[in-house]
Order: sequence, then C-alpha cells, then structure tokens
Amino acid sequence: MKIGKGWYALFTAPLMIVFMIVVVIPFIIGIGYSFFEWDGLAKHAATFVGFRNYGEVFKDQQFLNATVRTTIFTLITVVTVNLFGIIFALVVTTKLKVRNVARTMLFMPYLIGGLILGYIWKSVFQEFFLSIDWGNWLTDPVKSIVAMVVVTTWQLAGYVMIVYITGIMAIPADVLEAAQVDGASYMQTLFRVKFPMLMPSFTICLFLSLSNCFKIYDVNISLTGVGPNYQSEMFSLNIYNEIFSLSNFGYGQAKAIIFFLIIAIITLIQVSITKKREVAL
Amino acid sequence: MKKTGKVLAAVLIMAMVMSLMTGCGAGKKSGKITIFQSKTEIMTDLNQLAKDYTAETGVEVEVWETTGDNYYSDLKTGLSTQAGATLFSLQPGAESIEMADYLADLSGLSFVNKIGAGMADEINGKVVGIPYTVEGFGLVYNKNMVDAASIATTGDLINYLKTSEADNPLGLSQEDYFLIAHILNAPFAVQADPQGYLDAVLNGSERMADNDAFIEFAELMEAIRESCTNPVDITYDNNCGDFATGKTAMIHQGNWCTGMFADYNVDFDMSLAPVPVTGNKKISVSVPIAWYVNTDATEEEQKLAKDFLEWLYTSETGKTYMMDKFNFIPVVDGMKNNNLDPINQAVSEAVISGNTIPWVMSNWPAGIVTTDLAPITKEFFTTDMSGIELVDKLNDAFVAAAK
Amino acid sequence: MLYYSKPLKTVLNVLTVLFCVIYLFPIYLILTNSFKSRAEMYENMVALPSSFSLQYYSSALEKMNFFTSLKNSLILTIVSIAIIVIFASMTAWMFVRSKNKLSVILFDLLVATMLIPFQTIMMPLMQEMNWIGNNLGIQMTDTIPGLLFMYLGFGAGMGVFLYHGFVSSIPVSLEEAATIDGCNTWKTFWRIVFPMLKPTTMTVIILDVIWIWNDYLLPSLTLKSTANRTIPISTAKFFGQYTISWNEAMAALVVTIIPVVIFYLACQKYIVEGVAAGAVKG
Repeated sequence: MKIGKGWYALFTAPLMIVFMIVVVIPFIIGIGYSFFEWDGLAKHAATFVGFRNYGEVFKDQQFLNATVRTTIFTLITVVTVNLFGIIFALVVTTKLKVRNVARTMLFMPYLIGGLILGYIWKSVFQEFFLSIDWGNWLTDPVKSIVAMVVVTTWQLAGYVMIVYITGIMAIPADVLEAAQVDGASYMQTLFRVKFPMLMPSFTICLFLSLSNCFKIYDVNISLTGVGPNYQSEMFSLNIYNEIFSLSNFGYGQAKAIIFFLIIAIITLIQVSITKKREVAL
Repeated sequence: MKKTGKVLAAVLIMAMVMSLMTGCGAGKKSGKITIFQSKTEIMTDLNQLAKDYTAETGVEVEVWETTGDNYYSDLKTGLSTQAGATLFSLQPGAESIEMADYLADLSGLSFVNKIGAGMADEINGKVVGIPYTVEGFGLVYNKNMVDAASIATTGDLINYLKTSEADNPLGLSQEDYFLIAHILNAPFAVQADPQGYLDAVLNGSERMADNDAFIEFAELMEAIRESCTNPVDITYDNNCGDFATGKTAMIHQGNWCTGMFADYNVDFDMSLAPVPVTGNKKISVSVPIAWYVNTDATEEEQKLAKDFLEWLYTSETGKTYMMDKFNFIPVVDGMKNNNLDPINQAVSEAVISGNTIPWVMSNWPAGIVTTDLAPITKEFFTTDMSGIELVDKLNDAFVAAAK
Repeated sequence: MLYYSKPLKTVLNVLTVLFCVIYLFPIYLILTNSFKSRAEMYENMVALPSSFSLQYYSSALEKMNFFTSLKNSLILTIVSIAIIVIFASMTAWMFVRSKNKLSVILFDLLVATMLIPFQTIMMPLMQEMNWIGNNLGIQMTDTIPGLLFMYLGFGAGMGVFLYHGFVSSIPVSLEEAATIDGCNTWKTFWRIVFPMLKPTTMTVIILDVIWIWNDYLLPSLTLKSTANRTIPISTAKFFGQYTISWNEAMAALVVTIIPVVIFYLACQKYIVEGVAAGAVKG
C-alpha cells in the first residue's frame, strides 16, 4: 500500500513532536548533566568533568552490586509474572462460571498503586512472619529479594493478564475447533496452537514486565529500603539516593545513563528474539 | 456518518486541548504567596490558617501538598527550576547551608530578637530561618517500670536492660532516624566542643572508637542487641503501641511521638530521660525545622511572605494557631503553651533551664543517615558485628561522605 | 473449548474463587484497617473492625477536598487517554504500513524511552517546562492542559508499542480495498482500521487509566494550586515522614479505587463484546 509523505507526517508528527519535547529533550539534557559535577541547584555552578563520572561508576562497588541484584531480581520476576499472568488469562477465558469475578479480582492488585501497598506487605513479611516463627524476611539478604519478587508478581500478574486475554480472545475460533476435530489434547492445543499464536502477546508482556521490574522503585523503598549493608538496594533507589539524598546530580545522571543502556540492550535482545518467533497471520 | 462523527470528535478534542493550552498563559499574581513545608501533621490546620489570613488581610495564601518522604526532592526540583514556593521549610544545618543561596535575609522581622538564643538559623551573620518549634528526644520511659534516678551512667542503663522484666526494656525501631541517627547524636553532643569534634571526625583527625562516649555507645548498642527486641523487626507504629500498652519500658523517642498515643488508654505516667553516655544528664533539643523565604520570588512576594511570618509570630490569631492547633513548644518570647503533655513539658522545661545538648546530627553530611548510617546499623543488628566495629564503620562512612 | 464434567467444573469454580480470595488478602487488610483507630490496628491488624463507623472516611474526604480532586482526576484521566489513544493508534498504524528507516528508528526510540526511570528526567523536564512558560509564554506547569501534554508524551511509548504489535497482525487487504473504493488515508484509518483496533484500544485504556489515576510524582511536580489538585496529591497529607495516618490514608485509598473498579467492571463487558463482534465480522 502506498501512502503519501503528507499523510505520513499528519499521522505521526503531532505525537512525535510532543514525545520529543516531553521525553527525548529532557533525556538529552540529562545526558548532558552526566558530564558535569553538580549538586542539582541552579544557583550553584556545574563543573565540566568529561567522562570522569562514568569512570567512577565502574569503581562503585555498591552500584555494581545493585546492578547484579536488580538483574537477578528482574529475570526471576519476569518469569513469575508471566507464568502467573498466562495461567490467570487461561483460567478466566475458560467457560467457568466464576470467570468474570475472577478476572476482576485478579486484576485488582494492579489498581492499587503507590506506597501504601508496600507498607501493607511489609506487615505481612515482618509482623505476620515473625508471629509464625518464619523470621523477618525483609532483613534477610535472599528472602528480602524473594519478598520483592512476590509483591511485584502479585501486582503485575493481573496487568499482563489483560494483554494475554486480548491475545487469547483474538485467536480465531475455527483454528481451535480444527485442533479439537483432529483430536488434540488440552496440552497439545495449548502448546502447539495457542502459544504460537500468542507470540505477539508474549513480546508485549515480556517487554512490559521487563521494563517494570528493572525500574522497580516503589516496592523497593516501601518494603525493604536499602536494607542491612545495602543488601536490598536496587538500581532506581540507588540512583534516586545519589541524586536527591547525596546531591550528586551529575554522577547520579551518569549512573542513570548506564542503567538505561543496560536495560535497553537486554530488552532489545528480548524483543528481537520474540518478534522473530511471531507467526504472521 | 457515525465514523465521520468520531473523526470530528477527535478533531474537536485536539482543538480544545490546543486552545486550553494557549489560553492559560496569562499571569495571575495579585497579592498571593505560596507555602511549601514538610510538617504534614499540621497541614489541615495550616490550610485553615491560610483562609483566616486571607480573610484578615486579603492576601491569598496557598499551601502546597507533599508527603514527608518526597518533600526535599520536590523542594529541590522546584527551587532549581525557578518554580519554588515563596515560603518553605528546611532543617537548619546541612540542608539550609546547601540551600543558602536561596534563602532571603529575615533579620528585619520585628520579633527576631525575641527568638530563644541560638534557635534562629543564622548564615553569614544574617538570620535566614525562623524556627517552628523545638523538639527534644531521649529515653521516653514508663514511670511504673523505670526509676530514672537510678540510671545515671551507661553502666546503669545496660544493667537495667539486662535485668528488666519488661517484654522489651528499650525499644528502637527500624526507621533510619529512630534506628541510629537520634541515638548516635548523644555521643557527639556530649563532647566538649560538639561541632569541633564532628569536624575532626570528618577530616579524619579523630577516630570515634578512641573516644569514651563512643566506646560507651558501642557497649550500649551491644546490650540493646542482646537484651531488647531486635529494632529492625519493629516499626515506629508498633514501637509506640508496645510502649503505650506497657509492653515496652522505654523507647528512644521524642516529643513528636505523643500524638501516637492519642488513641490508646495510656494508664501510666511517662517522662523523658537523657541517654546517659559519659554520665550525660541532658536531653537532645533543637529546632527541627524552620521557615525560609525564597530569594527567587519577586520583591513583592518576599515582602508578603515576611508579612505573613510577622503575623504568624506576633498576632493573636497566629499565636493561637501555633500554640493551640499546631501544639508547638514556644520559641519566641511572649508565647506560652498551657496544655503541653508530659513529654512536651519535659522538653519545654529543659529549654528554659538550659538543660540541653544540641542536635549535632543536623550538621552531619546531607543524606548520610539514609544512605550509609542506617544500612550499617541494620547490618549490626542482623549479624554478630561488635559494637566497636559498628562505630568504626560509621566513622568510615562519615569520612567518605565528607570528601 | 474444552468440556469438563459437572463435578470437576464445580471443583474448579470453587478452587478459582478460593485462590482469588487468598490473593486479595492484602486488599482485605486495607479495607478492614480503614475502619480502625491506631490502637485497634495495633492490637490486631487482621481482625474485623469493632465498628464500621465511617468517621475516617468522612474526615479523609473532607481533608482531601474530595470533589475538586475527583473532578481534576477525572478530566485529566479521560482527556489524556483520549489523546493518547488517538495519536498513538495513528502513529503506530503509519509506522507499520510505511516501513521506512524513519519509522523503524522512531519506533525503537519510543520503545527504548519506556525504559527511562522517571526520576532521572524529572529535573530536566521541569527546567524545560518552566523555560517554555517563561520564554514562549505557554504556561506548562501548574495547569491541567500542560500536564495533559506531558501525559501524551509519556504515554506515547506504551501506546504506540501496544498498537504496533496489533496492527502487524491485521491483514492489509481490507485497507487496500477501501483505498480502491475511494477512501483517502484519513478515512481508511478511522473507518476501517481504528474499529478493528478495538481490543488493543481497550487494553491501552485500561492500563493507562490506572497509571494516570494513581500517578503521584508527575502531578506533584507540576500541579501546585489547590484548585488543580488530583486525588493522589490530596491524599499526600496523610503520609508524614514517620507518622502515617493509616485509617484516613486507607479510607482515601478505598474511595480512590472505587471509580477505577467501576470503570473496569464496565469495560470488561465491553472488551469481550468488542472482540466477539470483531470475530463475527471477520
């Protein structure tokens, strides 16, 4: 199909202009700041330091630890979020009587944003677990990460479920009927028919959960904070503290840029892998 | 036709948005000040006060909202982008020094010379910060369970912790300031020259582990880990709840916590005792937060903000709000609060009798409590690190942050 | 679809509901504690409240200036989403249908920026917006339209990303037929393509509603005036640094999510119907 340049501009330019102004320009300004030493206050002079901030980042053991920790957390959570998300989506697209109620209930956690949720979960992992002799999970190096995995999964599974539901509903009924006529079992239908056709949904959900997990902040600060000996500190919290608690604006920005590059590489790899596996209709 | 309708609707919405955007360029300043402050507890009353002020003077006052945790980063972003409030709050000390270029000279206010000694925030000889109130902290104790007179030294306190029959003899809680900042203030504040000592620690010429006060502090922290409920397992809410219900004999807290007891039927008397490192008999009292006027505001706005402060501290209405509604401890001559609870009363008396040690912690490097001191202390409470190792690690964090 | 025997069905129904109930336990905690005093919450966080008095709800609503905040939140959410849906669907469709280098670069850029943590661009963003206000005379901060503009920018990435995936999967033949029938590109998009995008539109709406409705950080930076406050900003006062007014905060939260739940329930029917209708036509 041939589309003229004028139409192209009319359809894409408005959004792209807004997007450039709101997201791209501030991001570029942010990159600019990463070459300066500055405390973030306009009245205080910024000193140009070239790539020194970047050099420092790679010597910052606390940040490197947070990097590894966030990556591990993300890999685990992406799996659990999507596993639960797809199971939920499959359950609520069956003909079960309770499917509509279940759909709403499973989605509910995502409706409640913000910090209050972290505080509620904190009382579960701390007070409740202490009262049944499971110990305080939030001060344990491994269990505190598990706690964050649990809470994040709880919040996001319903979110990706929505996307999976859209995908499942879009599978043409005749394809499924054909599979049934051929005598395919439930599992066969699931793995041979449904999953391949859900590839676009997988691409989207993996990406959404990946980026959400990498950027984890609210759950981190409200549930565990930095933790004993920084054992629970994730990327975003580390950067936030660098910029706003320690007033190292330039250095914090350098961290943020590196952080961005890391996620970008990982997620772009993920998108290109899953995109290739999508089935064209 | 339906589809065309949709397209039309879309275009209409676009047009509406565009017109709204250009329509809002007009200025709106005609006698208005904005207030941004971090004490969320007084927010509701402050909004009412703003209305009363407008009714009295015709000047519009707008109070911006924030949560306690987001305040400082919001303020900084605002100031740095020339979009700060006219009147805002800061902690005098590291925060106000960092922001010094944004703080207007308030020396001209009529009541400045009536502010208690050392309570106005002065930078380069000019008064820039007007104190809200004073706050004090120490050991808030249950009089039925603790005989304060018998705890005169660190040894006495440790002995009490080991022999007490309370579920929890001394409660700290997991929040950064309640876990370490406040209690660590004591060994700094009992030094002969607290500020000089802090400077020496920061430049590395003194080691905390060589100082008696810190050695006692180390022993105290070990005793707390041994004999008390692990502070990292307790939240502020529960710590206060345990105290109010008699499960905890004393908590290391300040006068701000009395609001937490309001819902409980507290059936015992309480008071405030000092942390007795090197025999200290004074509680830590200081101005937690003060008012500042933004130099980036227009001359006229700055004038209005100063008028507002003048009114707040000298008019009957203003004083009534400060004393009766905000329940502040008076810091300016001529104000009196007649309904202070016992802890606030203890702080107020300490101020009058001069029985106080300063908050050295206000001058610690900005951000250090959250980013370094708390994680180190949590490590102490979850491992078998010795008290002296704790002090050494804290010391290293101070030196690193000062660089 | 699979056919289950009747007892198995009952068991599955019961199990699903049971799981959902456990799953929502934290929400139960929010509900029950919105009725309790501090002392009662301390005594037992899990138990039912001693009385269902609405005192914390009424004080929370009053302190929040609820109806003004509700109005602002509604306007902000509805209009932002309308413009995100309109512009993101147009852009995504164009990117898919004209596969040139520019489309690929812009699409990758949109997707990549979804990965930027907001905290790292908030300061430059505010500097830029104030600069626009001071130098171009268009007030971007402390106005609802200014915030709408920013939401369009921040919503662009996910909107285009979601639509992009879906457009790729719809056959181009219908559009070609429409072009032959004399529709121009504009008409083809709005008459043929946009209706087919309905399932994705619903997804975008649902995901964005929750984001914008609950968003605290961006509005807190831009909307300062009392008259412009949204619900999340007006609940901020319940959160002191340490002293949190739990009952009021939770009551406010319950009241805040009720409109979203209602909205979601209303939409749910619509998603299913929309997709089903599409399938019949296709």
